[in-house]
Amino acid sequence: MKRKNLDKLTIFMFLLPALLLFVGILVAPLISSAYNSFFNWKGFGNKTYLGWKNYKDLFGEEVKFSKAIWHALELAGLSVFIQLPLSLLLALLLGRGIKGERFFLSVNFMPVLISTVVIGQLWRKIFDPEGLLNALLRVTKILGENERNILWLAEKGTNGKSLLLFACFIPMLWQYVGYHMLLMYAGVKSVDPSLREAAKIDGATDWQVDRYVVIPSMKQIIKVSVIFAVTGSLKAYDLIAVLAEIRTEAAAVPSTVLMNRMSLYGQYGMGSAISVILILLCFFFAIFIGAVFKERE
Amino acid sequence: MKKFLATLLAIVTVLSLCACGKKDDGKITLKMWCIATESDSNRKSYENAIKDMAAKYPDITLEWEAIENEAYKTKIKTAVTGDNMPDIFFTWSCAFLGDFVSAGKVYCLDEAYKDFASKLPEKMCKNTTYDGKKYGVPLTMNIVGLFANMELLKKAGYDEIPGTYEEFIKCCDALKAQGIIPFGCAGKETWCVTEYLESVIEKSCGAQVLDDIFMGRASWDNADVAKAVDTFQSMVTKGYFDPDGAALKNDVVKTNFMAGKYAFYMNGTWNCADFSNDANFKDKVKVAEFPVINGDKAKLGQLIGGPSDTLAVAKSSKNAATAAKYTFELGQLICKYGYLDGCGLPAWTVDYDASAVNPLTQSVAEIVAKSDYMVLFGDTAMSSEDAAKYLKEVDSVYSCEVDGSKFVSDLKASIR
Repeated sequence: MKRKNLDKLTIFMFLLPALLLFVGILVAPLISSAYNSFFNWKGFGNKTYLGWKNYKDLFGEEVKFSKAIWHALELAGLSVFIQLPLSLLLALLLGRGIKGERFFLSVNFMPVLISTVVIGQLWRKIFDPEGLLNALLRVTKILGENERNILWLAEKGTNGKSLLLFACFIPMLWQYVGYHMLLMYAGVKSVDPSLREAAKIDGATDWQVDRYVVIPSMKQIIKVSVIFAVTGSLKAYDLIAVLAEIRTEAAAVPSTVLMNRMSLYGQYGMGSAISVILILLCFFFAIFIGAVFKERE
Repeated sequence: MKKFLATLLAIVTVLSLCACGKKDDGKITLKMWCIATESDSNRKSYENAIKDMAAKYPDITLEWEAIENEAYKTKIKTAVTGDNMPDIFFTWSCAFLGDFVSAGKVYCLDEAYKDFASKLPEKMCKNTTYDGKKYGVPLTMNIVGLFANMELLKKAGYDEIPGTYEEFIKCCDALKAQGIIPFGCAGKETWCVTEYLESVIEKSCGAQVLDDIFMGRASWDNADVAKAVDTFQSMVTKGYFDPDGAALKNDVVKTNFMAGKYAFYMNGTWNCADFSNDANFKDKVKVAEFPVINGDKAKLGQLIGGPSDTLAVAKSSKNAATAAKYTFELGQLICKYGYLDGCGLPAWTVDYDASAVNPLTQSVAEIVAKSDYMVLFGDTAMSSEDAAKYLKEVDSVYSCEVDGSKFVSDLKASIR
């Protein structure tokens, strides 16, 4: 009996640190965010209860949060339909055991290793009014001598049309191609070589092997990649903060609006409301994508 | 035995999660938070001042910590919420400190000020006085200066920065005719646009009008302000500003100015240190006050800027009275060393040899000495929420989406 109690205590004590961390770092802030989202609060001093006003204001004329969500969904769409197929293609090519496999793997994975701030600065040099991209356009005569520089990073660019969102998406998609490629490469490599061989003996071409043998057996990995790509797009922040500033409206995404409201406007209540919505959206998409893949199976 | 040890280890792990510790050696220890990080231009002046203070007061230990600017804003607000404030803390004047004062978290410095009144002019405390009571020790101050590249001005036939607005506009046209861009302005950082816009408004409507609006004593609904905004916008549409500016950050614009791409650069006088330290540039640059646009309402000697960097004492401090005196002395020293380094102008009276200060900062000091009214930067003067709305509207003015009358009517509707 005594022994059993000691066992239970041991188990409890071992779980306690993890439990404390989980509750303290994840659950408690979540609950307090949800609570704060109903108040008008500067981050200190008195709180005034507002009810659902913060949530209503979010979708009003001034904050335009729905626009930010729409931008995030655009990014998610581009991510799933451009970035992931590209990653898959690279993974399949590398998975065939081509010459220099390791080298190409490293090259493609490199952008993931570089700090986002550095990547932001690199692309800033590319998109600068007198940067590489405009120089290229001038050399190729796409941009005439008397035409003005294209302002890729301006909130309001040439003709009032903003290219900012587009300019932010390109490096974001580019940076994580290597990440998804590595995930999928692991999936490709885990396919039983005998299956591959059997298909080959039956006369299948490389593409047919990929299409009918490899891809179907790596569905789980693709699902994980899609979940990462979509939730990652919803949470996008760093590159936009570097390239476009958090105040930007043209390239606003949920996290930049959150930071803008909290640190610039001092509206902690509204910031909390945004974080609650963001968490709910991420959960929703994770479950939704899981369900879509399950149905397919 | 093994299990017992394992249990013990687990207990230790849990306990180590809640760190605690306190020591009391009889001496007074003061804690200070500021933003003078290693990369901050004020770092050296803080270090020197603290060294001097340690020598003068061996029984007071100052534990100080420097936090990066943006992160600091969150940290100090969190500390105020949880009543974990350090004894002495850095703050910006007007609305930023005002929020803490109205929450009753800041120690009143009226008593301690009496000993320093002869060295710290009353007008320098204006931005940290609430309901007639002083709550802050000002450090250095800065104004908006009109910096000019004299080499480029010479090409357009000017040996001096034009003193009247008519001449100034003629000079801009002459510069344009020479293929020189008159102004560089970073559209990606809206505060840089306000350096121009606020000066134009002040020199059109007078300092009092702008000050009243910023401080919430008057409405934005003012026809003169609308006209001044149109004046600024006409400078944009006439092509006086670098067309690439909308996509540039201030560091690039500043570098461009120093490289001779623009003739003028309106920005804070903290730039004096960098301009003077550049061997190729220091002889080409001059600084002046923006000329008067409407002589009926405005005049020279009205500036944008003023003391904003401030030290304050927490009401929760156990040694608040000691901390208050200590803060005044420390602030005076930080001000002195900061001025000597060229990081800003002194908010305190200069009673030491300042002949080694770079000539550019000295000419700024002359401009300030002749001034009689300073309007604090709008985004510092206003509450954070109002400032954010104001900056958003300024963005739209710079990109010519709204004109003067829309600007004032939008701000009238959204601010107060």
